[in-house]
Amino acid sequence: MSDATANGIPASGAPAKSSLLTQDALMRKRNAAEARFKAYGIAAIALSLSVLFIMLWTIFTDGVSAFRQASLTFPVTLDAERLDPEGNRNPEEMARVTTIGYTNLLNDALVAHLAAEGISTEGVDDGDIADFISRGTPAELRDQVLADPALLGQTITVSGFASGRIDGYLKGRVTRETAAVDTNISVEQLDLADRMVEAGILTSGFNWRFLTNPDASDQRPEMSGLGVAIIGSAYMMLLVAIFTLPMGIAASIYLEEFAPKNRWTDLIEVNISNLAAVPSIVYGILGLAVFINFAGFPQSSSLVGALVISLMTLPTIIIAARAAIRAVPPSIRDAALGVGASKMQTVFHHVLPLAAPGILTGTILGLATALGETAPLLLIGMVAFVQNYPAGPFDGGMLDPATALPVQVYSWASRSDPAFIERSAGAIIVLLAFLVVMNIIAIVLRRRFERRW
Amino acid sequence: MDDLRIVERSVDTQGFKITARGVQVYYGEKHALKDVDCDILDKTVTAFIGPSGCGKSTFLRCLNRMNDTVSIARVQGEIRLDGEDIYDKRVDPVQLRAKVGMVFQKPNPFPKSIYDNVAYGPKIHGLTRSKSELDGIVEASLKKAALWNEVKDRLGEPGTGLSGGQQQRLCIARAVATHPEVLLMDEPCSALDPIATAQVEELIDELRSNFSVVIVTHSMQQAARVSQKTAFFHLGNLVEYGETGQIFTNPKDPRTESYISGRIG
Repeated sequence: MSDATANGIPASGAPAKSSLLTQDALMRKRNAAEARFKAYGIAAIALSLSVLFIMLWTIFTDGVSAFRQASLTFPVTLDAERLDPEGNRNPEEMARVTTIGYTNLLNDALVAHLAAEGISTEGVDDGDIADFISRGTPAELRDQVLADPALLGQTITVSGFASGRIDGYLKGRVTRETAAVDTNISVEQLDLADRMVEAGILTSGFNWRFLTNPDASDQRPEMSGLGVAIIGSAYMMLLVAIFTLPMGIAASIYLEEFAPKNRWTDLIEVNISNLAAVPSIVYGILGLAVFINFAGFPQSSSLVGALVISLMTLPTIIIAARAAIRAVPPSIRDAALGVGASKMQTVFHHVLPLAAPGILTGTILGLATALGETAPLLLIGMVAFVQNYPAGPFDGGMLDPATALPVQVYSWASRSDPAFIERSAGAIIVLLAFLVVMNIIAIVLRRRFERRW
Repeated sequence: MDDLRIVERSVDTQGFKITARGVQVYYGEKHALKDVDCDILDKTVTAFIGPSGCGKSTFLRCLNRMNDTVSIARVQGEIRLDGEDIYDKRVDPVQLRAKVGMVFQKPNPFPKSIYDNVAYGPKIHGLTRSKSELDGIVEASLKKAALWNEVKDRLGEPGTGLSGGQQQRLCIARAVATHPEVLLMDEPCSALDPIATAQVEELIDELRSNFSVVIVTHSMQQAARVSQKTAFFHLGNLVEYGETGQIFTNPKDPRTESYISGRIG
């Protein structure tokens, strides 16, 4: 009582008479605190949104050019004398003419076409003109001729990729200033490129091959594509889903619904949470030791990649699935048990259908994280230069060497030719597109299956 | 509690559906139910009353072994249904719960159609051989629960879309559909408005002709209205058990008197 009077509060406890129309000091202070807190929140959101926007914008502006590619279109007479010296149209004997033979043929044809079109080649020699043609184009022409020897002697229109520097010039990456200090290209060549664009020989279009081609060497960045990486990532996602879904859901159902609550299950729970926090590179070392060195699975294969990523994703999926199962109200379990359903029937008829949207969302988000995982794949050899497509999924393709999308980003980013930088950003765009698609699937599934109770 | 006494009393248990002897329940260290003896008559409504936390719901949940789902709960003593110990090792609680149905405090229909809600029990217990038989059970159960006329044209709609009172009657229909012998009701009207409560109470009285009904309630008026026998629980003890009229008009124990006159609880 004496304390209360000391604080200036009347002993009766009745507050001093005040008007509702004016705020007292304490109220003002509380309102100010609330306003400050809101401002912090808005600032945090604004900051993260702007950083996200800057990131996406950089990636987009850098990477979108990877989807365009300059091509050269000109007629080539497939000289039978040069391409089939034996004259018997036997593909096996024709194969003795190597890519170099075709390169020379294409170079001559381009020089001849420029002369025929009356385009001035002032300041550049034939070798400089040959530099316009991608090193991948002769190989493609050779494959085409070997597949169809009847083409020999005809004049066909070849539409092949231009080399990386010319492609870069059309995209603005190579300029006259950089060409002046670049030994691979000269200003005169760029002038010629301008004239070829005017004549319609050099054109630029959407580059489907960026999505289908395998990786290519440093000398021909324009030929490189994401084909192998997309197949590898698709195989890995498929296998990861097969490995983790049944196991993760079974484990979470058991832990959540059946397991007795004792020291052992507590220990298991703590360990699952801890495993979800283990750095992914550690799983890579584990995969290297167990799956490659001990079990002897082929390295760089999507199977090993999938096993490692499964180990990594499993704890995440178990945690998400358990949360979803726990969110099912206990009254539903009581109801089912009350009418005499067994534990198993309760779980499978009532709990699981209600938990399904949550489990699916968690799983898809877990898979999305796994899709973007790079570190463990470094250790099992998936950062490799893989030029051959893996076989089909039923022909053991999962055992063939492959790369994955994030790994392709990494390996392109570390190449020296600047043409690979745009391809690296382009690969990020593809990867992000996959992630967005997976997230949309998760949202749609959640919306569709979500039920109220 | 010795064998002799049970033999002596066996004559008395003829009309008894459930006989409980020396039931003790522990939640971990907490002694929630202390040495309860109780006989529940067939085709009678028995009400359990008492202040919150007195053990009446705990005892109810012992009768169909729903306490098994609480991992820290431990039950001692003996509960016999038609002379068979339901805590015997050979008893499967799933089978028991088909015979002893339960309706919960909060209406908890499955998020499925009205039809599926009622048909679920008969389906899992294999009570029917054809769709038409199942339809028959669903209709009969909904009629028993006095819900048929309100829902007969929309059996395919979700049970969760009904009003609170309808949901609770749906839960009763669901419990009735498995042809239980005893129906346990844990405060079935606490989430309902007075009109729905009146409907459910009327229903309970009708159900008495088929089953033995045990109802836990906080409302003494409700106990007085619907039950023939009343048990008063206090602090884990069964204080007094007898005819409803006698409990409310002429209680023998002073604690019962204090509770019904509103001095404790």
